[in-house]
Amino acid sequence: MSKRIAIVEDDAAIRENYADVLRMQGYQVQTYGNKASAMQAFNLRLPHLAILDIGLEHEYDAGFELCQWLRSMSTTLPIIFLTARDSEVDTVSGLRIGADDYLTKDISLPHLAARISALFRRQDALGKPQQADHMLTIGPLTVDSQRMTIEWLNQHVDLTITEFWMLYALAKHPGHVKNRSQLMQDSKIYVDDSTITSHIKRIRKKFVHIDSSFNCIETVYGMGYRWNQSASDSSAAS
Amino acid sequence: MAMKWRFGLRSKLFLLSGFLFTIPWFGYQYVWEMEKYLRYGQEQTIIGTARALATAMHERANLFNNQASFLPSVEKGKDLYSYGLSAPIQLDGLNNDWPDFANKAHFYQQNNQLYRQLTPEQLSINFTAAVGTYGKYLYLYFSVIDDKVIYRDINARSIINNDHLELAFINPQGIFSRFIISNKTTGWIDAYRITDVKDDIPVPARQIQGHWRDTAQGYNVEVRVPLTEFNDNIAFAVHDVDSPLGNIEASLGSADPSSAETLGTILVPSPEIERIVKGMSYTNSSIWVVDQHHRVLATTGNIKQASGVWNKRVNLNNERNENTEDNVVVKYWHTFEANFLKPLYDRMITQPPRNFIDQLYDSENLTGKHIESALAGEPMSQWRLSTDKQAVVLSAAYPIFIDEHVKGAVIVEETTNGIRTLRNQALEKLFSSILAIMLLGALAFFLFASRISNRIRTLSNQAEMAIDEHGRINGNVDTSTTNDEIGDLSRSFSTAVNRLGQYNHYLENMSSRLSHELRTPIAVVRTSLETLAMQQQSMSTSSSSHENPYLLRAQHGIERLSLILTNMNEATRIEQMLQNTDSSPFDLGPVFNGCMQGYRLIYPKIDVAFQELTTETFRVQGSPEHIAQLLDKVIANAVEFSDDDKVTINVDNDQHHVTLTISNNGELLPEQMSEQLFDSMVSIRKKHNNEQPHLGLGLYIARLICQFHGGTIKAINKKNNHGVDVIIKLPLMR
Repeated sequence: MSKRIAIVEDDAAIRENYADVLRMQGYQVQTYGNKASAMQAFNLRLPHLAILDIGLEHEYDAGFELCQWLRSMSTTLPIIFLTARDSEVDTVSGLRIGADDYLTKDISLPHLAARISALFRRQDALGKPQQADHMLTIGPLTVDSQRMTIEWLNQHVDLTITEFWMLYALAKHPGHVKNRSQLMQDSKIYVDDSTITSHIKRIRKKFVHIDSSFNCIETVYGMGYRWNQSASDSSAAS
Repeated sequence: MAMKWRFGLRSKLFLLSGFLFTIPWFGYQYVWEMEKYLRYGQEQTIIGTARALATAMHERANLFNNQASFLPSVEKGKDLYSYGLSAPIQLDGLNNDWPDFANKAHFYQQNNQLYRQLTPEQLSINFTAAVGTYGKYLYLYFSVIDDKVIYRDINARSIINNDHLELAFINPQGIFSRFIISNKTTGWIDAYRITDVKDDIPVPARQIQGHWRDTAQGYNVEVRVPLTEFNDNIAFAVHDVDSPLGNIEASLGSADPSSAETLGTILVPSPEIERIVKGMSYTNSSIWVVDQHHRVLATTGNIKQASGVWNKRVNLNNERNENTEDNVVVKYWHTFEANFLKPLYDRMITQPPRNFIDQLYDSENLTGKHIESALAGEPMSQWRLSTDKQAVVLSAAYPIFIDEHVKGAVIVEETTNGIRTLRNQALEKLFSSILAIMLLGALAFFLFASRISNRIRTLSNQAEMAIDEHGRINGNVDTSTTNDEIGDLSRSFSTAVNRLGQYNHYLENMSSRLSHELRTPIAVVRTSLETLAMQQQSMSTSSSSHENPYLLRAQHGIERLSLILTNMNEATRIEQMLQNTDSSPFDLGPVFNGCMQGYRLIYPKIDVAFQELTTETFRVQGSPEHIAQLLDKVIANAVEFSDDDKVTINVDNDQHHVTLTISNNGELLPEQMSEQLFDSMVSIRKKHNNEQPHLGLGLYIARLICQFHGGTIKAINKKNNHGVDVIIKLPLMR
């Protein structure tokens, strides 16, 4: 059975472009131009994945409301924000109310498709038993590249796809400095430097939430970031 | 800020308030004017007084009949004037109890010889005589200078064969009497009547008393005669005898005492006139009544106390002031006035003299134009100075008519002391109040001017502070609530600055707004192109080698456009992030060192010269990531502009700041651009790189980060005109 994707986007051209491309990828795509019609449809049946724009027609925050509503219907439904709004505030609030990813409209269609498939993959993989060959263990960090999940000290760290890829890129080669453009490539987004900085900050925060002594992601000023293995050892030892 | 003195609002207002100082001048003029009118008024009053008194005496001939006023002329020494004495005279032959004897006495010498005319060589006698009245007696004083004093022989029956005095009177009943004073020795006098006696034997006259005193030059005789003895005719003579029991050698006297016809006259101040005049003594004037021979018939009042009617009023005011219960301020004012102002005024204003000397009038013979004029029938008033020139005396003379003939004149005199006191008090009051008004006025002016200039200065400072030297809006002008022009100005400024701020904000957000708005259409184009590309790919899987070049170019263009948008957004994003960033203390050393090492890797061709910082030296409050970003931007800029592939970074510090100087040897900055360089979307790049779009945001972001850390950034051309220094100054933590 092919996956059903719902696109809620008020700009018809973009909406149809996305829909066409996704249909070509073999997904079933439903498109909605505003919040009301989307909610009406979702009331009948939930899609397998929702792509939401934040501003819909005259409602400035309709995407956020829709996201909240959807999250209350299903805790597992993957939700992607695809919007022109890229301010820090919007990003943080979008992720905080339960979106799985927050993308700006700069993203190219192949990237979008990759993310969608990654999200589906993760969801599918969550149901399957863990496979050892996809597991990467560095000290207390366990990365499952199949299910795209991260565990720190055996606790699940709830990262978005973008954040996962960033962390994965760092942790795959511990001790190597990854500069910002490498991180951008690895996480398949193109943003400015400060966005990377804020992503890293958010990832750190999520780890610190679990382990207050977490300091494995090291800033190498002027160059980038690296996964500091010795720090993770010492923190694990302590 | 060094305050340069200039002719500001405060000084101008202060100068204008100087016009207050003309008020005292006007006041002074006014008081002088007032004094003039008061003087005129006093003149009228005094003439009125004189007229009133004269009116009381018109056509009362009996007042003047006895007073020898009928004489066509008076002869000095013969027609005597009896001064009113102020105290009783002791009959002791000494003149020390005669007031002002020297002036009141008359000197008799050869001109006054009776019967025989001796030459001055032959004449061995002269004398000084004074006449005065006290109570019911006429006092006579003779000071005789005689080379040989011959007393009456003890056994002599004759009373004239020795030095003797002769007095002759006509009493009110018209009886002519002669008396001889002929002493046997010094001491109480022996007086004899020689007229109307039986057998020509002189009888002692007890009514005539006196004292004969021997002196070194001759003898003194002091005599008193009851006023009832004579009316107004009198004569006295001194007869000189130079040998014992000899005959009279010489006779000197006021008039021939031998017959009633040859007597001289005496003027005794008239009690009747005195009574009338006394009624006027309450007018605070000095009043004289003279006969037609200028001789004083009556007098009352003292010129020293005669300060006119104003004096009473003035004193009244003073008393009231002292008695009033005043509040503290007024009391303090009065104390101040009494202690400081009064002495000052006393120096400035001539006080009316309390103790002046006025001896113009010999009471025997008053002179003066006004008296002449009055005796000629014309009333007149005149101003004159007292003899010591201390006081100004106002005199008015008014004629007394009897049968259409002038028989005398009333002279009223007052000093202007009353007016002067009044004027002085007015001036003092004027000065005091003007002083108070001026002080308060000047103070008020000064405070007012200070307040206004302060407000304007505050406003000007605020306006200056609101917009910095780069033309950026830094803050707001406080809206004043005062409802006046300066308040309006302040509000206008505030509004203008606010609007300018909003516009500036709009401009600064322009790039993010623009990028935001452009993002959607670009997404449309991009997705369409991508879809198109994918469709083409899927349609021509076989010939995938030659892709549509137009599609590629369009995609390439979209990429660049997208990159531009991203760059444009960066600045806004930095601003937002800085707003959300918590600043924390960190060590600048590792950040700097790390960055510098990174740049050596990133720019392998560039020689980045720096000195590694020791850690734990430069503690900065802020965000290390952003400092790194700041360095990124500045170094990237320096590298780009460097001509000789060399960038030097110097670190310098004082107690409060660390200063990073990033220098390159490259293109100089245009003159006016050095400040604008750090503004959004300003670029001075000449060589355009088509692949990497430049929006001039790098240094703008650098500036934002510096501002976030409380530091400054500026770019200056090196002193040797060979390259540019970018100077970053960050505050250190204490």
